[in-house]
Amino acid sequence: MVYTRKNQRDLTGAERRKFVAAVLELKRTGAYDEFVRTHIDYYSADGEGRLRIAHMTPSFLPWHRKFLLEFERALRRVDPTVSVPYWDWTRDDSPASSIWGEDFMGGNGRRADLQVMTGPFAHSGGRWNITYAMTDTRFLTRDFGRPRDPIALPTRAQLDEVMRERVYDVTPWNSTSASGFRNRLEGWAPGRGNERFRIHNRVHRWVGGLMLGGGSVNDPVFWLHHSFVDLVWSRWQQRNPGAAYLPAEPLPLGDAQYRKVAARHQPMAPWGVTPAEMFDHSRVYRYA
Amino acid sequence: MIVPRRVALRSLFALAVTAFTGGALGRIATRTPSGAPRDPHAFDEMYGGRHLLGFTGPDGAPVALVDGRPLHLMRCADGGYVTPIDHYESCPTPLAATRAAVDELGTARLSRFAGAHGVPTDPTGGSPRGVHA
Repeated sequence: MVYTRKNQRDLTGAERRKFVAAVLELKRTGAYDEFVRTHIDYYSADGEGRLRIAHMTPSFLPWHRKFLLEFERALRRVDPTVSVPYWDWTRDDSPASSIWGEDFMGGNGRRADLQVMTGPFAHSGGRWNITYAMTDTRFLTRDFGRPRDPIALPTRAQLDEVMRERVYDVTPWNSTSASGFRNRLEGWAPGRGNERFRIHNRVHRWVGGLMLGGGSVNDPVFWLHHSFVDLVWSRWQQRNPGAAYLPAEPLPLGDAQYRKVAARHQPMAPWGVTPAEMFDHSRVYRYA
Repeated sequence: MIVPRRVALRSLFALAVTAFTGGALGRIATRTPSGAPRDPHAFDEMYGGRHLLGFTGPDGAPVALVDGRPLHLMRCADGGYVTPIDHYESCPTPLAATRAAVDELGTARLSRFAGAHGVPTDPTGGSPRGVHA
């Protein structure tokens, strides 16, 4: 049975409550923190001379598609009517957007310590204690728009530019790939100041706090952000039916990326699925 | 397996520095035999109310401590470094990356995960979590 992922702005009050309740239940059982831990474990940078499976790499998109599917499966074991909604940040681009409501994601962090004080994920509510993070802080933090060096969310025009890419990914298959859909969407770019932070990366920076670092999954908006990134990839796939995942074959000995990236039919840890197996989601979910 | 030895060394080192006190590490890092070349990754400064200490680790890669706690400097293909606190800003030097992390830290202290993370070694390998134990 194919289920639907909806735009979070179109959820009813009841749908918002059910999603939040399922997330809180996963947190209560400890399952949520295992997802946090997985994301921490698989973050490796592209100058470190070892395999990268989740970021700065062609498998950024299929790895996160599988990661979301696993999270969604866990949510749907709690409540079979729930799916992961998406946050279209080109449209809901303000701290006043309904996504940050007290009945959903909660609001910005306070100035003194960036602690989120409103909504179901505020530490004071007693149900959102941070277990795995890069600091010893126990509360969720956010810093919308980074006031000390302001940055805006990506625009529709910027996203349209990414959608005009015709090839999935290009050599050297990392954060310095000058073209290709994957790196343009992931958002690594040369330049100065905020120019360096594009699309997916820019959203992590705009939310700030825990979303900026290795513990980004601690902020439930992570899932809504990545649901939209996955939607963008899905739409791009529809527009470019002939554009398969690249690299198609494992890179040969002598290539600088030899054994550092996953080719089309190589398994991605920790699940063992391949990028090719993640390419078509139409029998599992669709986007509204 | 790509670089298990390096990973193991880094993990062991992270454990070792965690076990030491910040003061002892400071002496180890800055004590250089006279005439020896200066450590290219050395820094020792106060920034944002934090003590930043940098030096070359056992595998030749730069190591940073913030108030005595290890901060993983992750090398990027553009020649810069990101840290577990700020995954999205590649900074040109270890010191710049450490300062950028402190800018985002606020009042928080680094956790044990900030010293070393992201260490899967093989696409078919299972959980890399053992190194965190």
